[in-house]
This record gives sequence, C-alpha cells and structure tokens, in this order.
Amino acid sequence: MSLNYVVAMLLIALGLYCLLLKRNLIKMIIGLGVMTDGIHLFLTSLGYREGGIAAIVTGEMLENTAGFATQAVDPIPQALVLTSIVINICIIAFALSLAVWVYRHYGTLDPSEIRRLRE
Amino acid sequence: MIEIPSIMAIILPLFGAFLTPIVAFVSWRFGVKRQICGWFAVAIIVATLAIVASMIPAVLEGRILIYELGRAPPLGINLVVDGLSLLMALMIAGVGSLVAVYSITYMQHHTRLDLYYALLLLIITGMMGAVLTGDIFNLYVFLEITCVSAYALVAFERRWESIEASIKYLIIGSLGTSFLLLGIALMYGGFGTLNIAHIADLTRRLTGPTPILGLALSLFVAGFCVKAAVVPFHSWLADAHPAAPTPISAFLSGVFVAIGAYGMLRVVYVMFGTLAIGPLLAALGLASMVLGALMALVQRDIKRLIAYSTISQMGYIFFSIGLGTEMGIQGGLFHLLNNAIMKALLFMCAGVIIYRIARRNLDEMGGLGRCMPVTAAAFAIGALATAGVPPLNGFASKWMIYMARVEAGGLNLVAVGVAVLISAMTLAYLLKAFASIFLGQRPKHLENVKEAPPLMLLPICLLAALCILLGVLPQLGVGLARPAQEAAMQIDNYVGSVLGGV
Repeated sequence: MSLNYVVAMLLIALGLYCLLLKRNLIKMIIGLGVMTDGIHLFLTSLGYREGGIAAIVTGEMLENTAGFATQAVDPIPQALVLTSIVINICIIAFALSLAVWVYRHYGTLDPSEIRRLRE
Repeated sequence: MIEIPSIMAIILPLFGAFLTPIVAFVSWRFGVKRQICGWFAVAIIVATLAIVASMIPAVLEGRILIYELGRAPPLGINLVVDGLSLLMALMIAGVGSLVAVYSITYMQHHTRLDLYYALLLLIITGMMGAVLTGDIFNLYVFLEITCVSAYALVAFERRWESIEASIKYLIIGSLGTSFLLLGIALMYGGFGTLNIAHIADLTRRLTGPTPILGLALSLFVAGFCVKAAVVPFHSWLADAHPAAPTPISAFLSGVFVAIGAYGMLRVVYVMFGTLAIGPLLAALGLASMVLGALMALVQRDIKRLIAYSTISQMGYIFFSIGLGTEMGIQGGLFHLLNNAIMKALLFMCAGVIIYRIARRNLDEMGGLGRCMPVTAAAFAIGALATAGVPPLNGFASKWMIYMARVEAGGLNLVAVGVAVLISAMTLAYLLKAFASIFLGQRPKHLENVKEAPPLMLLPICLLAALCILLGVLPQLGVGLARPAQEAAMQIDNYVGSVLGGV
C-alpha cells in the first residue's frame, strides 16, 4: 500500500524535473502530464481499501448499508480523479496545439530560443 | 422580492458561452451583422451582473446566502455568498460587462468572433464559480476553466508574440494549479472532507501544526501566488497580459489576478487560520511592489508598462492583507476593487490608442492629446488614481493601507516609507507614459488620428467616473470592502452558517 505513495511521489518529482529542466517543449508537456498522473495516483490511493469492493450499491447491499460502508472503497477520490483527468486532457491538448504553433513561428521547440519577448 | 439562487450567476454565462457559436451561425444564415454575438454576450454578462446585484441587500444585512447542490454540506457541494464572494462577483460581472461592450468595436475586424465571446463568457463562468463555491475541489475545477480560457484568449491573435506568451503562461499556470490540486489531495487525506467550512472547523480544533498541514499550506500559498502574479511567480504576467487582445488585457489585469488574493483570504486565511503566514505575504507583496515599479520604469511598450504596474499594485494588496488586521484587510480589499477599475481604465485607454494608430511603442507616439482629448483625460485620471493622488480612489485605499501599517508600528513604518516611495515612482512612470503619448510633437504619420468610437468611450468614461466617485465618496467602496473583510475574518460565523450547527 505504501508503495503507491512512494510511486506517486516519484512520479510527481519526475514530472517536475521534466517540466522545469528539459529543453524541449514536448518533453515539458509530457512532464506536466506525468506530474498530474502522480497526483491522481496519490488521490486514488487515499481512497483505497485492501480487498474493498466498488462503491456501487446493488442487490443485497441495499439492505446492509452499514456493512457496505465498511467494505466499499472511498468513491470521492475516484470522482475527483475522473474530473481532474478530463481537465488535464484539455490542458495537454491545448499545450500541444500551442507547441505546433510555436514550431511554425520559431522553427524550434527549445524554450531557451523562444524568448523574443524579452528582447 | 424573489431571490434568485446564486447558481444562476454561474449557469447563465456557461450556457451563454455555448450558445454564442449557435447565435453566430444562425445570424450568419439569416444575414444579420456579425456584431450580434457581441451584443448577445453583453446581454448575458449584464444579466449576470443583475443577478449578482440582486444579492447585495441580503448580504449587506449580514446574511450568508447558501445554495446546496444535492445533499447538505459537508456531503454535497454548496455555493456560499458572503461579503467577500459578493465583492469579487461584482467586480467580475461589472468589469466583464464593460469589457464586452468595449470588445464590440475593438474586435470588429477580427475573425472567429463567436469563439472570442464564448471564451470571454467561459472565463467569467469560471471566475464566478471559483468565488461563489464553498467547496475546495469545486474551486479548483472552476479555476481550471478560467485558466484554460485565459490561455486560449492570450493566444487568440496567433501572432508569434501571443503564442510565446500563451505557452509560457500555460506552463507556469498549470504548475500553479497542480500545486493546488496536490494541496487539495493532502487536505482530503488529512481531513476526509472538501468543504472549506468543514475543513476550517476541523483545523481549528487541532492543537498545533502538523507536517501535512504545513506542506498543504505551502502548496496553496505557492499556487495562489502564481495566480496573483506575486514575486517570484510574476514572470508570466508581463508577457501574457500585453499579448492578449486589449479588452482581455483589461479583464485579466483588472479582475483575473484578484482571484489569487481571494484564494489567499478564503482558502488560506479561513482554512489555516491558526498558522501565521501574514509576514511572508507582506514580504512578497513588498518585493513585487518594488520590482513591478522598477520594471515599469524602463518599459517602452505601453501595454507592458501597464502590466508591470499591475504586478506593483498586486504587491500593495498582498502587503496589506498580509498584515491581517481589520484595517489592513479592509484596505487591501478596497484596493483590489480600485485596482480592477484603474487597470481596466488604463488598458482600455491604451486599447483606444492601439486601435487608432496600430502601434504600441511609446517612442512612436506623441501629441495625441489634441486629437483624443477624452481618452487623454481618462488616461490621466487612471494614472493619477493608480499613483494614489487625492481625491481619486487609489488615494483612499492606499491611505487605508498606510494607516493600517502605521497603526501596527515598529518595522512597519519603514515598509510604509518604501510603499510611499513606490507610489511616487508609479506617478513617475505613468506620467512619463502620459507625456509621451499625449503631449509633445505629433509625428508625421499620426496626422489624421480621430477620437475613439463612442462604444469604446462609453466604458472608459464610466470607469473614469467611478474612479472619481470612489475617491470623493470612499465610504461607498468601504461599504463593500467592510462586509468582505468581516466575511474573511469571522471564521466562526462562516463555519456556523455553512454547516448549520453540525
């Protein structure tokens, strides 16, 4: 179980490293994706329960709600992660399309060369 | 009187955003003018403003309007309208509607106008949701809506400048929101709830700071500092705001940065009330105040100059709310309101000049005062108000900020000295800009410049009138800022109303 948290933190650190230090826009955007995936893994692990069941009330569980609450995994982090995944798809898609435009204007994806504004 | 639920202030612009392309398509089929989607957006935003305004009397009475979506809190998501949310919502809808009116003329020669207005409505939806919600994850989602539309609007013109600014903004901005998401995840892990009031209730009962809480706090502070463009997270603002179409610059610089200050007050002060980060915020504020003014002094591009001035003014606001006393937070919130008016005014005046002469470099301008006297007068009012010259609104709020600091005494007196010095510098760089645009010799290529079109002058004159009104009668602004400050500081009241004695 604690492995989840270790991997999540590793992913976040790796993503941050990629985002801040890589010299290629596409790699930076991948880093952004990896970092948010790390956060998602962290969130889902929070709601995980060893041997738990999916948080869907069906059949015999309808009568035994107290038992259901002790067995089911926490559904809220899953809902949060789902929302967040959708948001991050938007951001990454938008960032990639911007990268295409950057390449059209500058002919490079190296962020150190995309700094005409500072001149 | 019928009470319109606060959710309508979010739903209306959201549906409006997705209806705009349809309106544009239908009007194209029937041969109606393209401006129709602009007027549609104006109607939607003005209606939103009316909904927000209809909540003023109840909130000023001291009530907290709560709208529950689904279950009662802490299980369901709820919208909470108190003084602080109301002040922000008024600023968003007010500046938003003026910006939309201004856009109709300014953007008329652009293509894809339906997308422009759809994005403008989405940014208003996102900000409205972020300030009205009482759920922290909901706040994050709305913040992301706002940010993605802001990235898209910055890149709207698709020139190299806007693309470069947008990608920079996107990288830094998403880093900031990721911090917020990680902070929210930590809070959920620690407290098992996402309701701001419920978390505040639980953190109050803690005896001392825990490591998780400290980590989450630093993530929240960093995330909101990115949104507010406070030093050391300011670099995106000076690129992104000038690169956007000018009405959007006015909206971003006036209102969008305020969301950072709102987050500080609502999330950090309410949730982490026990932990003292005020001095840190004040120090960051002081640093951005100084740095923004120094950078503004050397700019030759009119929009970049105003953008750096925004960083400097956000510094004043953080400097003031960092103090944490009643007077300090009140002054900061009043300055937030004034900043929205002054920055929108300055950017709109700059937009008129860009619209008429298609240039942004101060060196290529001059002598425009005789051809556009109204714009010149409005720019002068905005500049003097930003610098804090009496009897304009900037003076009233800056005076409150200074008085709050002087009351606290000690080292604060030195800080006030610095702040006064920076005000003088603000006057210097804005007057320099005024002189090089409106005074002096008019260059050959600017012979036939006319005054701004009436639809652009209307919002400018309204904002300039507001600058004078709030300066002469500061109690009007304080009347809005005081309930906001009380809402931010009376945490017990907030928690009690939201949880209903749970």
